[in-house]
Amino acid sequence: MSANAYSATRGLQHEEPLLFEREHKAATAIALPGVSGEIAASLFAFVRKTPARIPGLSEPETVRHFVRLSQWNHGIETGFYPLGSCTMKYNPRVNEQIVRLPGLAYVHPEQPQDSVQGVLALLFELQQWLGEIAGLPHVTLQPAAGAHGELAGMMMIRAYHDARGDNKRRKVLVPDSAHGTNPASAVLAGLNTVEIKSAANGRIDLDALKANLGEDVAALMLTNPNTTGMFESDIGEICELVHRAGGLVYGDGANLNALVGIARPGDMGIDCLHINVHKTFATPHGGGGPGAGPVAVNDLLAPFLPVPRIEKNGDVYQIICEGEQSIGAVFGSLGQTGVLLRAAAYIAAFGCNDLHKIAEDAVLNANYVLARLKDVYHVPFPGLCKHECLLTDEWQERHGVKTLDIAKRLIDLGMHPMTVYFPLIVHGAMLIEPTETEAKETLDTFCDAMLEIAAQCEAGDTAILHDAPLLPFRRRLDETQAARKPVLVWNDSGFSS
Amino acid sequence: MRFLPHTDDDRQSMLATIGITDMRQLFTDIPGEFHISKGNLQLPEALSEAAIVRKFTQAAERNRHAGNTRCFLGGGTYHHFVPAVVDYVISRGEFLTAYTPYQPEIAQGTLQTLFEFQTMVARLLGMEVVNASMYDAATAVAEAALMAKRITRKSRTVVAVSVNPRCREVTRNYLSQQQGECVEVACADFSTDVDALVAAIDDQTASVIVQYPDFYGSVYDLTPLREACDAHRCLLVVTFADASAFGLIEAPGCFGADIVCGSGQALGIPMGFGGPHIGLFACRQKHVRQMPGRICGMTEDLDGKRGFVLTLSTREQHIRREKATSNICSNQGLMCTANACYMTLMGDSGLEQVARRSAAALQKLLGGLPEYVKTAAGAHYNETVLSFADEKTRQHFLSVARENDIFAGIALEQMMAGADARHLLVATTEMIDEQDVDDYIAALEAIR
Repeated sequence: MSANAYSATRGLQHEEPLLFEREHKAATAIALPGVSGEIAASLFAFVRKTPARIPGLSEPETVRHFVRLSQWNHGIETGFYPLGSCTMKYNPRVNEQIVRLPGLAYVHPEQPQDSVQGVLALLFELQQWLGEIAGLPHVTLQPAAGAHGELAGMMMIRAYHDARGDNKRRKVLVPDSAHGTNPASAVLAGLNTVEIKSAANGRIDLDALKANLGEDVAALMLTNPNTTGMFESDIGEICELVHRAGGLVYGDGANLNALVGIARPGDMGIDCLHINVHKTFATPHGGGGPGAGPVAVNDLLAPFLPVPRIEKNGDVYQIICEGEQSIGAVFGSLGQTGVLLRAAAYIAAFGCNDLHKIAEDAVLNANYVLARLKDVYHVPFPGLCKHECLLTDEWQERHGVKTLDIAKRLIDLGMHPMTVYFPLIVHGAMLIEPTETEAKETLDTFCDAMLEIAAQCEAGDTAILHDAPLLPFRRRLDETQAARKPVLVWNDSGFSS
Repeated sequence: MRFLPHTDDDRQSMLATIGITDMRQLFTDIPGEFHISKGNLQLPEALSEAAIVRKFTQAAERNRHAGNTRCFLGGGTYHHFVPAVVDYVISRGEFLTAYTPYQPEIAQGTLQTLFEFQTMVARLLGMEVVNASMYDAATAVAEAALMAKRITRKSRTVVAVSVNPRCREVTRNYLSQQQGECVEVACADFSTDVDALVAAIDDQTASVIVQYPDFYGSVYDLTPLREACDAHRCLLVVTFADASAFGLIEAPGCFGADIVCGSGQALGIPMGFGGPHIGLFACRQKHVRQMPGRICGMTEDLDGKRGFVLTLSTREQHIRREKATSNICSNQGLMCTANACYMTLMGDSGLEQVARRSAAALQKLLGGLPEYVKTAAGAHYNETVLSFADEKTRQHFLSVARENDIFAGIALEQMMAGADARHLLVATTEMIDEQDVDDYIAALEAIR
């Protein structure tokens, strides 16, 4: 494939000032409905003395401002987005349509339960589906994101041990390859973490695990496939060891895309699993969120699930607020309903017949990329990968080119870079997750780009890599300055806050 | 399958490149005992796009909603007007389908929007710095309580019972995982008991958490709390439920709050049966390094052009792991865009009009109440408590109102276990018009 197959060009790009730098004349862009009478006299004493200085723009100006800003962004709809551990797959447009139905968008969470049976039915069904997919039948939909699910899970595990009078268990084992949220969530649940070093093959070191197991261990937090993209084939033995020591196994479901419809974490001995529906079930990432992180648990942990939760009694769906051993609420409502409904629609689109094809094509794509790149990029842990593959810059660094340069060059070639410098256990990590919704043609363009970059390194033709990116709206940004002298809000006098 | 681009030929040729012949060989590293047979999951058959639309439309039609009723429900979620432009902007694929802006050169749209969001929220709340969102009001309050403990290195938290019960519960649950005491201070007659709170603050107190306007809609002077906090080196945390209030009433920051957090749902986000909403989180500049969550900051690129990046990330879990200020990673990013777009369309004058109309609708309602309905004393923004003689009267009214397509309020005990079953929490917004208020009052008259 020729280089001009790469899609990035300098198109018509507009500079757009900050809202606060524009001239503001319009009183308000909006004609408002409602009651235009007097407010209560008792409020007069509390009326704002100075306006907030929120700049208003007319509707056409507002649209143009935000459309121009949107055009400086790369999204999954714009192009390839192989961020490892993030599962950037296509987000079906029909899912955007259904959550905007008035009977779903304009429902108040405190409406009488008989007036919300439709949405409760959809959410209850999703609970059942997620339980079935995880192999862990009891589900809470409350957690708002993966990390929030981890917190809820660790709170349940702690409550489980405490309920048995086993309240010395405060240690959580976390592999050094884990997402940073794992140790942070354990600490938020009042537990202490102990890092378990990975073995030379990138997997859990069983001896290190055994050495740390004991009467003080509450749980092992495990991501499987792990963040090197490898499946922990010893999973059965790992769970058995932890269980025998009286601990539980928490599964980080960030990488469920590799398993969905193929194998179930619950069957492997995982006790508790959060599911990132914004990864596996294609809800949009929105530039950082919202996500949702429902948690599925086995019978042991079911009594500790958060309330409120949804149950079905005959033909009626009920919101249950009481639970004797429940950890209580971790979120202000039943969950991020709009996100959860999109996930339900995604699962419905595949159904029992096709769900496994998600994992199949995701794993196929990652192994295809690995196969095409393994001779020119160093592969720290050779062998079959799952939904993502891990490379490093070891061979390029000899030519003075680092992972960051490779990533930035990909931008000039029209693609979002892979996840860089994670996992932390290898130097110069490049974690590539293509997902199942990418065509072979796209993967080939990416692989060609990576091969071209490697060839440029070999040829010593590296200036174009160090200078990258040259095409986008901004070049490399000074993050040191941003952190040293933080300017976090606009101050009319300019750069100091 | 319509979301999967490969043909079987593609798959075969890719398998050949990998050096295997069958898809199942991709999974040989998963022990055989854990493989499930294809199609064996207890899930329904796959649905076409048309069938999905039908399924969700049928479910949606089983719900009543604010589009075909008159919604006087509040308690943390409000039916304000959402301009079409807001939904259009957040539906743009470039905003909707982008990840967290880890590669700033190709995420300047998200980043500049976040910077504008942070600035506008700071101005609205009267605060110095704002993060790029928390999940919701409840988790924002919980994080504020934890942040105050880190800053003061003290362990006691004082919470007013007039804080939204859902926020209180989540805060209690978060705090219960840590050392330290969480004390709830009772309220007086559906308003915040400032004197009791002042009395409850001691030298061990890390923060006092109040809601303004409070859960009952009551607006009050926070000055005595600020003074008590100063006397005991304790932080003043102010939460709020309906951010539209600050288009009209004095912002919490003006009372010297240290942390201000609450829901931004009122600013351009539909109620959506409880989410996704957004938790707004603001603090003083000097505490920014203890703040949870992502923050966007201004900088320059190699050519000296202004640009934006995520910053101060050494607070965060992906760098600090177990020592991070919070475990939050995914936040409510797209909802920041919704808030920013909404505030831009409104401007100061639009925000003031939303607030005035929300407050005016309540004033009109209170002015027309029959005598048998008792109201809470004090200043109220757009929410208050109506009290009936007994539960039976209230339930009778609720059902008559419902027959007239009015959701007339939240039975207080539904949100606040143990509350007397004769009170009704009632909220108004600019979506309530004169006719709606008249019909509400007519329903009250009808059961007299």
